[in-house]
Amino acid sequence: MDLVQKEHERLSKKIKASQSINNVQITIDSLQAARDAIASDPSQASITLAKLQSSVKSSFDSINDSLKETHSSLNKYSKSLDKLFKDKPLPSTEHDALSSQEHLINRAIAMHLLREGQFAVAATFLSEMAKKKAMESQQQAGSSASENAATLLDIDEVPSNEVRKQFATMYYILHEMKENNNLLPAIQWSRDNSEALEARGSNLEFELCRLQFVWLFHGGPDRQGPIPTGRQVALEYARREFQTFLPRYLREVQQLMGAMAFCPNLQDSPYRVIFNNPSAWEDVAHSFTREFCSLLGLSADSPLYVAATAGAIALPTLLKLQTIMKAKRTEWTTENELPVEIPLPPSYLFHSIFVCPVSKEQTTDENPPMMMPCGHVIAEESLKRLCKGSRFKCPYCPNESHPREAKKVFL
Amino acid sequence: MAADLTSTKLNAENHLLLDQPLLRLPHELARKNFKSVQRFVEREREYVLPALKETNNALQSNDQTLDQTLAALDAMISRMQCLKRKMETLHQEEKMIHSQSRKRIKHLETLHQIHSLADVKYDQWARVRLDRLVVDHMLRSGYTDSARQLAQEKDIEDLVDLNVFVQCQRISESLRHGETKDALQWCNENKAALKKSQHNLEFELRLQQYIEMVRTGDKGRFVEAMAHAKRFLAPSIDLQSTEIHRAAGLLAFPRDTKAEPYKSMYAPNRWTYLSDLFVRTHHELLSLPSQPLLHIALSAGLSALKTPSCHSAYTSSSSNSLSTTTSVCPICSTELHELARNMPYAHHTKSYVESDPIVLPNGRVYGQQRLLEMSSKVGCVDAGKVKDPTTGEVFEKGEMKKVYIM
Repeated sequence: MDLVQKEHERLSKKIKASQSINNVQITIDSLQAARDAIASDPSQASITLAKLQSSVKSSFDSINDSLKETHSSLNKYSKSLDKLFKDKPLPSTEHDALSSQEHLINRAIAMHLLREGQFAVAATFLSEMAKKKAMESQQQAGSSASENAATLLDIDEVPSNEVRKQFATMYYILHEMKENNNLLPAIQWSRDNSEALEARGSNLEFELCRLQFVWLFHGGPDRQGPIPTGRQVALEYARREFQTFLPRYLREVQQLMGAMAFCPNLQDSPYRVIFNNPSAWEDVAHSFTREFCSLLGLSADSPLYVAATAGAIALPTLLKLQTIMKAKRTEWTTENELPVEIPLPPSYLFHSIFVCPVSKEQTTDENPPMMMPCGHVIAEESLKRLCKGSRFKCPYCPNESHPREAKKVFL
Repeated sequence: MAADLTSTKLNAENHLLLDQPLLRLPHELARKNFKSVQRFVEREREYVLPALKETNNALQSNDQTLDQTLAALDAMISRMQCLKRKMETLHQEEKMIHSQSRKRIKHLETLHQIHSLADVKYDQWARVRLDRLVVDHMLRSGYTDSARQLAQEKDIEDLVDLNVFVQCQRISESLRHGETKDALQWCNENKAALKKSQHNLEFELRLQQYIEMVRTGDKGRFVEAMAHAKRFLAPSIDLQSTEIHRAAGLLAFPRDTKAEPYKSMYAPNRWTYLSDLFVRTHHELLSLPSQPLLHIALSAGLSALKTPSCHSAYTSSSSNSLSTTTSVCPICSTELHELARNMPYAHHTKSYVESDPIVLPNGRVYGQQRLLEMSSKVGCVDAGKVKDPTTGEVFEKGEMKKVYIM
């Protein structure tokens, strides 16, 4: 990479210093001068022309010289690029299963744009897609296009308006939260969805209300406001709102109330963590996004981003594999499983994975993990192979059991 | 569950696989630019020097008037001025290309300063990369406005090649509509590079022109068509003899013939073929992969992330949207779920489960810590009980049973 950078710098310098245009200008000047000289003094014409010939020739030569220099720098840069990308062919596309599913990719992109808050781009994208689709349907169906156009559009109606609206809501709430320190829309949303949130075991509503309390305590909209008023307002807020939280969050509410007593000297009190937490807003915004997406059945981080990044991490391994397989002329034996393990960072592991310790295969719906009474787990196929229908010994402990006693588990 | 350090290590050199076109493309453009300069200079040189000599000779042998000499010189001056203008525009372009390259090199260079995949900086870098890939995909699919808008909003216009793709799109579109002019002009501009290409785009375009002439069925056009064939098709007789013979045979068949191969030569979808051929040739010339990079990254990524649980009929205990203690797996998320259905899943040699796993009477396995934490958060569970976050069933704490996963 350093080499590429160096060569490129050299190349740029060469180009900046290039004299070829100047030389062309010099040629023009000398031609012009000769012309003027001949026009004014025709008797000297042949000498002037002879001189001109040599001067034009020499300037063309110097143009070529400078071009040659540029050319050699270009070549050097080429070589440095070749070196950088040596053994790194453009990823081949032999197994490109995705091109046939263009509309799914486009849908994923559209949703990615929406969830990133790029509403304008998403709108352009959707309208361009609709246009293209309409055109295609026209070409295909000819006269019957008009009736088809309507139906074609909502076949795989790329992120439905519903999703778009949801994300618009989410960004409105986040915007209010971050820019205006206004938690009320978020609190309203969490109240509207309190049942679903509670089933998930989420603390979102309480966290939001607590932050609102802290914010009011610090003086609300005008932070410089006198502390006593802020305290008064916060207390009123607590009386009004915290009632419903009491059964679940008694301890936390007590903490907040207890802090009141330390008010003049909050910095040195045990409560300073709650009241002076610089990342509190970030945290709440983050957990809000997460809850919001989860309720829609979506992951919190853009899947397109996670997948593309994981792909970039996986590519070197897959490419190596491809070259090895080409050299040995073998094919993948199992079609639905990759033949190598790809080292992804732990944050890219989402599901639990169970690899049967006997057969070394991952368990699937057809071959689920089975737990024996002793608590050890192996895959169903391994179990069948071990027991042959009668009592058998667990491969990992002295316990004996009957296959009937093994129980399917869900990871 | 041990996260070995090697899996978060970032090897920048290896990581550049997807980024080769990023540097290659501007370089190809720069080379093309340079070639044009060279050609222009050469052409003028070949005109001006002999012309000067001739003028001089003519002057010496006295068969030229002064006016003629002056006129000859004027012609040379105007040609040189024209050359200068051309070179100036090319020089501007060249400078732009190189400043673009510099920015790209810098962008890749930042990656070399990041050593861990867990670094926040890597996250930012990867987001820029995703934007690049998305723009690339949009451009290739012809969603030009969206691509431009996205590039503008993300401020990555120097990292994507809007103009190149817009031009490519325009020409392929014109071919789709039965126009060869733009494509032939492009061929002319890239003549030298095309010689090395294995696709004979220009021949195919000329052949199509010929077919169009014959299609009219007008005898007068036939003569024209034959002249056209002599001029443009015949020179490549060594490589394309079958096609040329077929072209000759075409004269004997009307446009509604049912006989192959003439029927398919007349077929309108030959234009689509030409358009695709153009795009293929174009991408090859500029060292662009034939598939959008996003597809390559995604297909690798989907497989690397996919597990048998993702499309299982049973809800996974470890990653679902039903509980706050887990995050939704990207493959299970609506966006990619269908897309990943036919992909192979990742290979694992080790089990990966939460620490301290227990099993509930309904067969669901959870990390004990997570389950207890979760149950205490959910309001409606009495002390001494645990709630299954997936199914919502409530069990006694004593019913949790240790499970051993090897």
